[in-house]
This record gives sequence, C-alpha cells and structure tokens, in this order.
Amino acid sequence: MQIERSEVILLIIIALYALGVAVVNPAFLSIETVFDLVRTSSRDIILVMGLLLIMLSGGIDISFMSMALVGSYCATVIMMRYEFSSVAVLITLACCFGLIMGLFNALLVSWLKLPPFIITLGTMNLFHGLMATLAGTRTYGAGILPPSFNEFGSGYLLEIEGEYGVIGLSVSIIPVALVIVLTWFIIYKTMLGRGIVAIGNSEEAALRLGFRPLWLRLFAYGYIGVLAGLAGSLYICQVNAVYPDKMIGEELMVVAGAVIGGTSISGGKGKIFGAILGIVIIYLLKSTLIFLGLSASWNNLFVGIILVLSLSFTAYQEKMRNQRHLLFKVESR
Amino acid sequence: MQQNYHKNLKATKSAPLTYFTADANLNALLTVFVLLAVVCAIAFGSAMYSGANLQSMAFQIPEFGFVALGMMLAFLVGGIDLSIVANACLSGIIAAFILTGQWLPGMSDEWRIAVAVCSALGLSTLMGLFNGLLIATCAVSSLIATLGTMTLYSGIGMALTGGRSVVGFPETFTAGGIATVGGVPLIFLAFIVVLAAMALLLERTGGGRKLYLFGGNPVAALFSGISNFRMNVITFTASGFLAGLSGLTIIMRVNSAKVGYGDAYVFQALIVCVIAGIHPAGGRGKVIGIGITTVLMQMAASAFTIMQLSPYTTKLIWGLMLVLVLGLTRDGKRLLQLVRAPLKQRHLAPSVEAESADFLTKRNSLEDSEASITTTGAPYSAVNGQQEIDGKRAVLPKVNDKA
Repeated sequence: MQIERSEVILLIIIALYALGVAVVNPAFLSIETVFDLVRTSSRDIILVMGLLLIMLSGGIDISFMSMALVGSYCATVIMMRYEFSSVAVLITLACCFGLIMGLFNALLVSWLKLPPFIITLGTMNLFHGLMATLAGTRTYGAGILPPSFNEFGSGYLLEIEGEYGVIGLSVSIIPVALVIVLTWFIIYKTMLGRGIVAIGNSEEAALRLGFRPLWLRLFAYGYIGVLAGLAGSLYICQVNAVYPDKMIGEELMVVAGAVIGGTSISGGKGKIFGAILGIVIIYLLKSTLIFLGLSASWNNLFVGIILVLSLSFTAYQEKMRNQRHLLFKVESR
Repeated sequence: MQQNYHKNLKATKSAPLTYFTADANLNALLTVFVLLAVVCAIAFGSAMYSGANLQSMAFQIPEFGFVALGMMLAFLVGGIDLSIVANACLSGIIAAFILTGQWLPGMSDEWRIAVAVCSALGLSTLMGLFNGLLIATCAVSSLIATLGTMTLYSGIGMALTGGRSVVGFPETFTAGGIATVGGVPLIFLAFIVVLAAMALLLERTGGGRKLYLFGGNPVAALFSGISNFRMNVITFTASGFLAGLSGLTIIMRVNSAKVGYGDAYVFQALIVCVIAGIHPAGGRGKVIGIGITTVLMQMAASAFTIMQLSPYTTKLIWGLMLVLVLGLTRDGKRLLQLVRAPLKQRHLAPSVEAESADFLTKRNSLEDSEASITTTGAPYSAVNGQQEIDGKRAVLPKVNDKA
C-alpha cells in the first residue's frame, strides 16, 4: 500500500502533537492512552469508512448518526419487547434498519438530483422524528438492558497490568478491523468499488463505460446504513445505555475527520488510511486537552483550526493543478 | 411560445400587483400562504390571530429571517453557508462582552452600545470575508469551507465563554429588543427594511444581475468578464454581515449571549430557501419568496406550539416537508401527469406505467418530451427505442453538475 504525502504530513502532525503533550504531561505517553483512543474512536472509524465510500462516489451523507441512533434504538426496543438478549441480534436488527434507511437515501438522491447534503439533512430529521413518534422516547438504562451488551462493550481482548489496575484492548477493535479490511477490499478489489470511484470522478465517463450510477449509489448509501447500524450498536454497548437523543449532532465531526484525511468533497479522491488518521487527530485533540490543562470547551477551536488549515491546503493544491491544466472549476460548490 | 414570452415581459414591467403573477413558484407560495392562514384561522381562531400572538411572532421572525437571507445569498451562487449561526453567536458574544463592560470598561452606556454594535457588525463581516476568501482563493467547496469555519467560530465562542451565557446588558440596549412602533416591533421593521434593500440590490441593479448570472453559470460568467473571485467574496461577506444583524437581534431579544443559541436555524434556513424557490444549484430565486416563507415557517412553528407537539414531531414534520418540497419542485409536474394520464387515455396506461418504473434513469428525456407521453397515442411504443437514445444524450450534459 502506498502512503501519500498528505498522509505523511498528518502522521508528522500527530507525532509532533503527541510529543508536545508528552512534554507538558508525561502521563500521556502510555499504552493506556492508545487503548483508550481505540475504544472511544471505534464508532467514528466505522462510520468514516462508510462516509469515505459515499464521498468517493461524489456524494455526502450526514444522516449516518441519525441512522446509527435510529437503528440501534429501534433494535433495542424490539429486543426488549421480545426479550432477546444476544448482541448478534442487536447488530443484525440495527444493520437491517440502517440498510433500509440508507437505500431510502440513495433513492432520494438519485431521484431528486439535488445536493445530497440538503437531502440527507432532511432525512436525518425525518428518521429521528419517525423513530421518536413510532418507537417512543424512553431511555433504557444499564439495569434494563441485557447484561450481554455491557459484556461486549467493555470486554477486553488482551489485558495488561497497568499502574492503576488492569487495562485492556477493547473488543471493539475486531469489528473496526473487519470493517476497514472489508472497505479496502470493496474499494480496491471489486468492480463495485472501482465503479463508485469512477462515478465520483466523472459520472458521464462512468456512464459511458457501462457503470450504472443508480445501483452504485444504492450500494454506497446502503453500505453506510449498515455500518451506521453496526456503529450504533457498538456505541450503546460501550456506554451501556440507550438514549433517544444521543449521537445526533456529532456527524459533522466525522465529516471533518474525513476531510482532514484528504477525502475530496467533489468525489473520486480519498484514502482509507487518511480518513482513519483524520478521526484519530480529532479524538486525540478531544482527549488530550485535559492533559494540557485546558477545559473541553477549547475542543472545537482546535478542530476548527486544523480543519480550516488542512482543507485550504489541499484545495489550494487542487486549484493550482486545475489552473495548470486549464480546467475552469466552479469555486463556490 | 413567442407570445407567452412577450406576455411575461409585459407582466413584469406593469403594475406592482402583477409582480407576483409572473413567477409560478411565487404563485404557489402565495397560495400555500393563504391556505395556511385560512386553515390556522379555522383550527386555532383567536389563539393564532390574537394581537399578542401576532406580535410575538413578529418578534421572533427577524433573527431567523436574517439567517435565511444570508443562506439565500449563498444559495444564489450555488453554495451553502453553514457558518451563519455560529457567526451570529460569536458576534453576539463579542457585543455582549463589550456591553457588560467586561471588555473596554469605563465607557458611558451610549458609547458602549455604539461600540458594541459596530464591533459586532464589523467582526461578523470580517468572518464572512474570511469565508469568502477561503472559498475564492483556495477554491474550497463552500460546504466544507463553512463547515470548517463553523467549527472554528463556535470554537472561539466556546473558548471565550466556556459555554456559559453572558448576561447583564444596559437597559437602553435591551429596550431596543422590545420596542414597538404602533404595535409593530422595531426589529421586525428593521428586517423589512433589510429585505427591501436586498430585493432592490439583487433584482434592480447591475451588480445583482451579475450575481444571478454568476450563480446560474459561473464558467460562462467568468468568460463574460465577471470575476468569480469578487462574486464569491462579496456574497459570503454580505452573508456574514447578515449573520451579525441576526446575532445582535438575538442578544437584544433574549438579553443574553451564548454559544449554540439557534443551532436549529441552519437547518430551518435551508428548508426556507428550498421552499422559497431559491434553487440550490444557484442563479434562481427571489428575495420576496424568503420574506413570505419566513412568515409561513413562523406561523407553522406557532401552530406547533399551540398544538403542543413534541420537538421530535416537529423535527419529523420539518424533515418530511423538506423532502416533499424537494420532490415536488423536481417532479411535481410529472407526478401530476402520472395521475392524469390514465384518466385521459386509458389505452395508454401500460406504457405510461412502464415508463414510470424506469423514469429514474430517463427523466431528463421525459422533461423534454412530456407532451409526447400524454398526447401521442399508438406511436409511442414504436418511438420507445428512439426515446432511450435521446434520453442518454439528454442525460449526459446534465450529469456533470455535482453537489
């Protein structure tokens, strides 16, 4: 696998930042920090894989947090009613709900031919509203949920004796790794993935090659729906509670992570490793402000600065390239 | 066709009353407006049309209206501005710090208000300028650029306030928020003035025409000597200025400043723009549409409050509304035809149905040949192959305009 220059820059930024934090607070440099990062960022890394596929196809989906919430919430409600207790059932149900919602998004995007951002903004509210109207708005706490949720959410794959007791690598890394490998396989080893990249680069050219944008979109949006179901299930297992209003509102951070990682909003460009690095940077900032002695309210400021810098850098490079090739690109869109 | 064109031209030139009738979307909007007003009158009666409720609606409209106008500007150039509300909050916070005397202490109340208002408007314009420069010089897509600056601006606001609200303004300032002129809130009048000024600038001046042209086809505009750079910068700077107005209105009315106030406005402003007929691809839409739709939304919100709907249900309705309106603007005519066609010509029904199953891939050709589906009878199936070729050819040029 080839590592791009932008990814190297991101790695350097992460390394420098980690070094800086370690100088201020040596407690930061420990295996515990890494394990904690793996656990907390697992949901968003799964989601960004789906988002990457969508953005490769030239679209965007911001309803994934809504899908994750609705999928996992509805699955929990069904499980409570019929007294299922297996995590596998939870994940399957949530993924099914996610798939349905994702396909709905794809149909709307293909039909309306309007900016997917606006469409998925609408469906985001639609899904959440439907869930609250049909499935209720009860909060399911730790006592009510099946114990298997907590066992899965806080299970350790490998345990190490730390300074403050046992620390471990969360089981969440298994689904995360599976999703990363699956996404890599889809993008680089299947015709489906190549088609998605193709419609992202030029839908016209892809159409003439015989790709079918409708089917490719159905797949891409369905895929993020399924991943949203999985990520939502993982999240409720980790926090061991189901709220009717959590997760929604955090979607733009995942989009920011993808963009920091070099994924192009206009489609056809984006790397798995870069997207993961983008999410890692955001979570690193989130978790290290305390080490630096700043309150959590500085979080958005740092993410904003990094986001603005990275996107202006990548976009400026592309503009220069376009100018060299005498391509007249529209700037505002 | 030629005759119609002349008729329209005449209509736009004549009396102000026919201003509305020249535009199909505005007609639809006005119809919906009247319908909603009547339905509200029947359903809620005095609860909706009491003087107090009307006045409270007029108090709430401006802060959202300014956001919607800013979003409209971004829509007109085919972009989107997510940072408006964050910008409004930050400029409101800056004004609040000066008003409460935490910054620049030791001024009289009048001076403090003047400095606060100027710095809020100046800063919001600067933030808009920053958006514009980011979009114009670095060629960042406006969605991503304003996503970044939204995070940045709300981040600055959070870092300054730590998430707490800033309270304790001089009374002369907050009096402006509750002042009325003959029963009409002062801030509402200010909104009307800004609305009228924008309508004049956009629709009656050369600069406004340039903006529409640029939004409609930026590449063509570039080759006609309209600077892409200048258009983008001006648009997003103006959007920033409107955000500042919104921020001032908010702190004047609620008497405190806080990050995260009015976050839902971004989403609602998008809905308002879409309903008002401002096309997301740019270059189409009228200011008066925003005015009508803002009032419409406020009436709907008021009705929801009277009906005591939960915030979730409200969310559901807004989401449904956005999807429906998008669908109807895109395919309303065609859907109407699908309903009508079987009634008109029964023997044609199968081919029309087959067409409808397949219309996702072929809709571009259908738009061009709508007449042939319903009016021509038997030849249609024979022409089908030809249609498909035409369809492909018609699809291709349109495919390029990505989101």
